[in-house]
Amino acid sequence: MSYREKIAWLSLIAMAVAYGPYFTSAAKGPSTWEPLPHLHPLGLFALASIARMLILGAGYLYLRLGSAREERPPLDERDRAIKHRSLSAAYYVLIIGMILVGCFMPFSSTGWTIVNAAIFWIVAAEVVHYSIVVASYRMQASA
Amino acid sequence: MMQGSISNRIRTLRFMNGEMSQAELGQRIGLTRQTIAAIEAGKYSPSLEAAFRIAQVFNVPLGEVFQWDVQATPLKAS
Repeated sequence: MSYREKIAWLSLIAMAVAYGPYFTSAAKGPSTWEPLPHLHPLGLFALASIARMLILGAGYLYLRLGSAREERPPLDERDRAIKHRSLSAAYYVLIIGMILVGCFMPFSSTGWTIVNAAIFWIVAAEVVHYSIVVASYRMQASA
Repeated sequence: MMQGSISNRIRTLRFMNGEMSQAELGQRIGLTRQTIAAIEAGKYSPSLEAAFRIAQVFNVPLGEVFQWDVQATPLKAS
């Protein structure tokens, strides 16, 4: 497995570990803690983001220390083609999501539901991006 | 549209050039070993520039490295 594929896997795992519990909690509904109603969802989001950064940071460090410099070559034309393809697909996911959130949800939802929907589409775009990177490297890998 | 596929003789040419490794070939033309492996296996089509660079390393014309294999298309019944 190439270094870049490992990084893509790491990013996918960090997304799943950090935002999986966050969206599960968000789906259960808003907190009933009244004095500061925005503190609970904001705190959860901050926790998820910090968890993601910590996983990514530790993972990068582990992969960097565990691989020789030759195993981390600069991007070549195939890497750039994969990056371009994955970012293009992620862009469409993000655009569709933002149109849904920005143009339709204000008529049916409010507050943190809209915010969480926006975060969901950003995460979905990132997941699509890294999934295509992983799939492309897998499909082009030779025995 | 004409149907076909690209094949290559990179493995043979590497063998004929002192069993040059994929990593060495990649290093000489600015590609990673994984990319050379993908090109060799026919899973990635290189850019025209990379194709010319590969041919230059082996000191052969481009056509000796890459071939366009035309697939016969069945004729439509009139």
